[in-house]
Amino acid sequence: MSASFAFPPSFRRSVIAIVATVVVFAFVPLMAGSFALHVLTISFYFVILASSWNLLAGYTGQFSLAHHAFAAIGAYTSGLLGYHYGIPAWIGIPAGVVMAGLFGLILGRLVLRMRAIYLAIATWAFAETVHIYLTADYQFTRGELGLSVKPLYGNVNPLPYYFTFLALAALVLIGLRALIDSPLGYFMRAIKDDELRAKSLGIDTTRVKIAVFSISSAIAGLAGAFYGHFIVLLSPQMIDFSEMAKIVIMVVIGGFGTFLGPVIGAAPVQMVMTYLQKYGEWNLAIFALVVIVLMRFSMEGLASLFAPVWRRIWTRHAI
Amino acid sequence: MEPALETIGLFKRFGGLLATNDVSLSVERGEIRGLIGPNGAGKTTLVNLVTGVHAPDAGEVKLGGQSLRGRGMHEIARLGLVRSFQVTRLFGNMTVRENLMTSFLARRDKGESDGAGQTEGMIALTKLGPLADTQAKKLSGGQRALLQMACGFVVPANCYVLDEPFAGINPVIKDAIIDMILDVNRRHRATFLVVSHEMAIIRRLCQQVTVMMEGRVAAQGTLDEVARLPEVIAGYLGKALE
Ligand SMILES: Nc1ncnc2c1ncn2[C@@H]1O[C@H](COP(=O)(O)OP(=O)(O)OP(=O)(O)O)[C@@H](O)[C@H]1O
Ligand SMILES: [Mg+2]
Repeated sequence: MSASFAFPPSFRRSVIAIVATVVVFAFVPLMAGSFALHVLTISFYFVILASSWNLLAGYTGQFSLAHHAFAAIGAYTSGLLGYHYGIPAWIGIPAGVVMAGLFGLILGRLVLRMRAIYLAIATWAFAETVHIYLTADYQFTRGELGLSVKPLYGNVNPLPYYFTFLALAALVLIGLRALIDSPLGYFMRAIKDDELRAKSLGIDTTRVKIAVFSISSAIAGLAGAFYGHFIVLLSPQMIDFSEMAKIVIMVVIGGFGTFLGPVIGAAPVQMVMTYLQKYGEWNLAIFALVVIVLMRFSMEGLASLFAPVWRRIWTRHAI
Repeated sequence: MEPALETIGLFKRFGGLLATNDVSLSVERGEIRGLIGPNGAGKTTLVNLVTGVHAPDAGEVKLGGQSLRGRGMHEIARLGLVRSFQVTRLFGNMTVRENLMTSFLARRDKGESDGAGQTEGMIALTKLGPLADTQAKKLSGGQRALLQMACGFVVPANCYVLDEPFAGINPVIKDAIIDMILDVNRRHRATFLVVSHEMAIIRRLCQQVTVMMEGRVAAQGTLDEVARLPEVIAGYLGKALE
């Protein structure tokens, strides 16, 4: 970063808040059973997916419907490398990140000039293509039979996974906050508000949009790759549209285009959905309805309730 | 020396309408040129051709002798040409401070190094302090226009093309904008092309004005010279300028 830019105080405050939250969650295993830990671990995974999708859709205005596919690309890259070539996770996971980032770069280029609705359709078509490929090329991907992936840790204890995903989510959130508070973050928000004006100021909007698409996809790939080594059996269901819908629901309920939104939206939605699973697809329909109502009235979701509290904390103890 | 801003035989057609018809003009470095003409004369279209919003059908634009042919809007801006929009454009969901900061960051390699300092200085100069953390979409029309101008001045540019910077603005803010223009012009010898219907301000700022009518350059000279020309008077529907 050039000398001309310093992070605003909001960056430090956010890092403090993230670290404090991690400390609180570090004590949860003392009280929670292994099923609750499992649900929380998956929630942390979705915090990463929802936050990185929010970077793309909420901050930059590129409403992609392929985010779950990038998670799957990360998961399958590491899974397939391990399954076919015996490559360990510590190489497989970075490879998954790179693969998702590259696909994101290419897709980001292709959809660059598309208006919102066309971008949504094109990215959805991309996700479906990946879905079909994973199903059709079953000799390589194992298709619906499922690809078994080596677990990250030798035993079935949920605790190490809980802490792995907690730490991963915290690191990703700090990274995202740094990005949002950096010049690139200003340019992203500028593009979402008024792309023509952004260009007229000298911002290379093409580069910014492609960069954000690629970064956000790489983060999804990172989450997906770890996730594969956690659930240990991958199937093309990972690219079921309901997975994407879930990400959108989490962000909208939490607060679209706010930093806090996906963080506080992910866990409640994941929990409620887990408990409503027995009603099948209907629970998604109920959530979809909630999302439509929320989007109609306010895009700021639950995060808008926290905003005044957040301001009060920091005005009293100026940091 | 090369003119700071030059257009050579520009043409632009919108369907059946020739909005820009063989426009050639040249503005010297450090000059503040007025661009006047009745509604629909093609002034905004010319601004859009110069700044890369539209590509001309024929002709070319040169900035400091360098051709802008084939360059995108953001490249033209980075070469040091800053514009304002007739219908004010800001980042509505960003605060006043963030709007200024974004303008600074977009051109931060152009000499200035202290973004926060420049931004705060501009807030003080425009007296927008109490509104610094207000979203731009919540400002009044005049405040928005002032902020749009201030964004252009956070990092001084070589050349400014301003499309109706004074329209619908109260006199106090008008004076603030005039002062900013004169200040950047004096300190950095910045060149200006100012589109305006406000003849009193044009008379104050500009030694030379260019008159456009129906897509062409109809006249050029001092405001008093062009105001006497019969074709200019006719073009303004017989209403003498001021
Ligand atoms: N993008 C466009 N598509 C089609 N026609 C256009 C476009 N832009 C401008 N025009 C037409 O070109 C002509 C010149 O318009 P322009 O906005 O350049 O005039 P102007 O001199 O800026 O007028 P005003 O003083 O009202 O701002 C008008 O007839 C306008 O309708
Ligand atoms: Mg106009």
